[in-house]
Amino acid sequence: MKGYRRYFLNKAMWFAITFLCAFLLNFILPRLMPGDPVAGIVAHIAQGQSASAGVQAIYQQYTELFHTNEPLINQFLYYIRNVFRGDFGFSFSQYPRSVVSVVSSSIWWTIALQFPAIILGWLIGNTLGALAAYIKKGFDKVLMPISIFVSNFPAFGMAVILLVIFGVSLKWFPTSGGYGYDMIPHFSLDFIWSVIVHYQLPFWSIVLIAIGGQAIGMRSMAIYELNADYVKYARFMGIKDRKIIGYVFRNAMLPQVTGLALSIGTMVGGALIAEIIFSYPGLGYTMLHGVMGQDYPLISYTTLIITLMVLVAMFAIDIIYGFIDPRVKAAQTE
Amino acid sequence: MKRIYVLISLVVALGMLLSACATPTAETVVQTQLVPGATTVVKETQVVKETQVVQVEVTPTTAPQNLLPRDETMYFNGQQWNPVVCWNPYSSNCNNAMAIAAGDNSRVLMFETAYLYDMLDGKLYPLLADGPYQWDDAQTQITFKVKAAAHWSDGTPVTADDFAYTWATNLKYNTSAGGNFSPYIAGVEAVDPSTVVVKAVLNDQGVAANPLMAVAYLSSTYVMQKAWTQTVEARTGEDATAFLADAADDVVYSGPYHMYFADETKVILIRDDNYWGQDASMWGKLPVPKYLAHAIYKDNAAGTIALLGGEVDVSQQFNSNIQDSWKFLGLPISTYLPDPPYMIGASLPTAYYNLKSPGLDNVVIRKAIAIAVDYPTIIANAMTNQSATFDQVPRSLMNPTPGEQALYDHEAVADLQWAGNDIAGANKMLDDAGIIDINGDGWREYNGETLHYVATCPNGWSDWQAAIEVVAAAGAKIGIDITTNYPEWGDYQTVVTKSDAPLPAGYDIFMMWSDGAGPTQPWGRIYHLLSSQFVGMPVNWNGNWGQYSNERVDELLALIPHETDAAQLKSYYTELVQIYLTDIPSFTLMYRPQSFHTVNETVWTGFPHQDDGSVPPVPPLDCMDGWSVACLYNVSLVPAGE
Repeated sequence: MKGYRRYFLNKAMWFAITFLCAFLLNFILPRLMPGDPVAGIVAHIAQGQSASAGVQAIYQQYTELFHTNEPLINQFLYYIRNVFRGDFGFSFSQYPRSVVSVVSSSIWWTIALQFPAIILGWLIGNTLGALAAYIKKGFDKVLMPISIFVSNFPAFGMAVILLVIFGVSLKWFPTSGGYGYDMIPHFSLDFIWSVIVHYQLPFWSIVLIAIGGQAIGMRSMAIYELNADYVKYARFMGIKDRKIIGYVFRNAMLPQVTGLALSIGTMVGGALIAEIIFSYPGLGYTMLHGVMGQDYPLISYTTLIITLMVLVAMFAIDIIYGFIDPRVKAAQTE
Repeated sequence: MKRIYVLISLVVALGMLLSACATPTAETVVQTQLVPGATTVVKETQVVKETQVVQVEVTPTTAPQNLLPRDETMYFNGQQWNPVVCWNPYSSNCNNAMAIAAGDNSRVLMFETAYLYDMLDGKLYPLLADGPYQWDDAQTQITFKVKAAAHWSDGTPVTADDFAYTWATNLKYNTSAGGNFSPYIAGVEAVDPSTVVVKAVLNDQGVAANPLMAVAYLSSTYVMQKAWTQTVEARTGEDATAFLADAADDVVYSGPYHMYFADETKVILIRDDNYWGQDASMWGKLPVPKYLAHAIYKDNAAGTIALLGGEVDVSQQFNSNIQDSWKFLGLPISTYLPDPPYMIGASLPTAYYNLKSPGLDNVVIRKAIAIAVDYPTIIANAMTNQSATFDQVPRSLMNPTPGEQALYDHEAVADLQWAGNDIAGANKMLDDAGIIDINGDGWREYNGETLHYVATCPNGWSDWQAAIEVVAAAGAKIGIDITTNYPEWGDYQTVVTKSDAPLPAGYDIFMMWSDGAGPTQPWGRIYHLLSSQFVGMPVNWNGNWGQYSNERVDELLALIPHETDAAQLKSYYTELVQIYLTDIPSFTLMYRPQSFHTVNETVWTGFPHQDDGSVPPVPPLDCMDGWSVACLYNVSLVPAGE
């Protein structure tokens, strides 16, 4: 246990260092983009105005409000001070909404779409990949090329194909929105059904591509493990196939679990393509809008969330590995 | 394995329930409080008190109607592209397209103006005002009456005091309206409860400095209730930042509709059945649709699919090749005009020259490029023929509306106008000027330098990019090397609007917008295109981004607002067109509608169309801007079975 504690503390320390570096980069990098975010806001207001002085005054007003006229170090100090208060600032592009308000209103749509899609794609993909490696023959010959084809499908391609076939031509599913265009959210079977129906096309556009990628990865790992010496030895020992498969997939699963953790960590980035194609609410489009509008606070906050989630996911994986992979624990106790 | 599937199902179901049942975006009221013992910081001559912004979450009340009846709801697209932020007309940031869009053609669904502008006949029609406005004999002030029937949503009457207090508030907090009109409006006074006097800023001659802008104020600025404004001032401590950031969830309005529901996916307005406008002195009845709903689509393609599918009744967005929907798909979709250009052009997207680029200071080169451009291809590709061609409406400074076209002498400038694609003419012009290919590389030289330019517009603006590509292609045909570059909008705007220094390399030919239709047009458009007032501004959002300067133009721009003689006005405008088409500091690439206006008549009918017989004519501005709001009183349901 002492060795394991050392392992844990070591990982925690690197987590903290990485987080600090990421925090700094999250602040600096968006602000290095060329262009003036305040000018973008003023552009919208100033169209059609005839008084030049009025536009100047508005520009000055927003510049002072957002501190964009101050040195970067001052802006960073304001940022640090506010973060410790739990205030991540106002969104430039959606002022006066706070960044937290902007993100919290759309993040749940993203999580609800991404999380099940990632999990389901991972489960189905890995199952198919494992089966292909184990069964081989015809099943593998069919699954492998299909998986390669589907996994390399661009996200917008899959989304548009599903939209055209099932939304526009067959009219089986709606073409846009998170729920019915004529509905207001309320607790009823009609509304729930509407949400489920609107969910299908964006969901499957993500899952189908995820399945392909996971199947290929799992198949490769499973084939590698199936050819390992310990498997041959176990067979010679007369151990049943069922037990051997358990050993094989436990080993083959490790890299896939890492990939799953990364996917979950980055899911907050949103399914941008699906959101645009299907006009599905979520954080991806909000982030894109923020990037295009040089909305520094929004970009910093969302990338910070992504960074934090990735770090937490990797940290959790490292800890879990310590438990499930005896080789890790053994290395730490040496 | 079975347990895993059960778990997955539960996670999926829970996730969907969570997202669906999430409360709509809470309205945020930002309040500023003075922190006791706050630090006082002296900044040069300004004392700034540190304030603490307190956010108060205001949750909108739950709507009783959860499914909008299709026969009571009119659906829109193309106005709202992101979630609504607030309901405060004093703010410039509410991103609330359905309720707040004051300007040349103010949106009057929730908040109202004194007058409504009709872009089809160029007239102002009374809304909150009672009868026409009057200038005094000295042309120093405008007087109008307030309709006796006009009242606010809380039942109190709209009075002249509301107009006066609104103006004072706009000035005090330096709102967009205040900043725009303060050089032209000296003050707004309430002579009595029903009489408003708008005092103009006077020039050296003791008359209104700009009568056009003074009149434009009447239709371009919302009037707000004095009592509600004072409520907001009290809760924000009269702090300008907090005042402008107030979410205004409790706003008092005078218009026929108000907020019903808004979240990340849509915004819905509901009719106020107590609306004063049903009085005989105004519309005589309520608007027909009970609900006005706008789903938030992420791009034009999604909006077009919804329009074709009958989920949108009125579309204010560019729908590519919209005519295919009725010609080939047989859908009950139509535009204002049945044939190209389908829409009424109002603004003139313009290619500006950087007049300091080598060679572009030479009018021969500027004209050669301009006349060589294939404008029909631009209109066919970028606008899918939703723009008049330059054969149909020869280029000038005026938009295609009959009112503006009548303002200049067409014959006097006919020899200066070009329709484009004149490769032979451009080549001859350049050859005659001695601008030829000396070294045989295929490109002409001028002053020893190969003519090479970069044509540019913001990345992602696909119709503009299509136009710029055509401009570049024209260069190749006349021996001028024009390449294209598409920086991001954030970068582009920063460069283009910096008018206190020469434009950098890479911005030799660049696109920007122009004014559309409005009470000050075409003067406003010409002012923004050509006035030297904007040259030298460090942040120039007004116009003349190519930094053109012409004294006679500035003189004419100063004369026009004061000219009342129609013949003299026509001569001024004609002279301006002549100067513009001679100097060519920029050139129009296409005509663009004030608003795109496409309707699907599956559920509703009676929308404005050309020659529909409406008097005054109802403009195709999506049933909400200026006089086009009359459309909401004229529509009816399509009879069952049709």
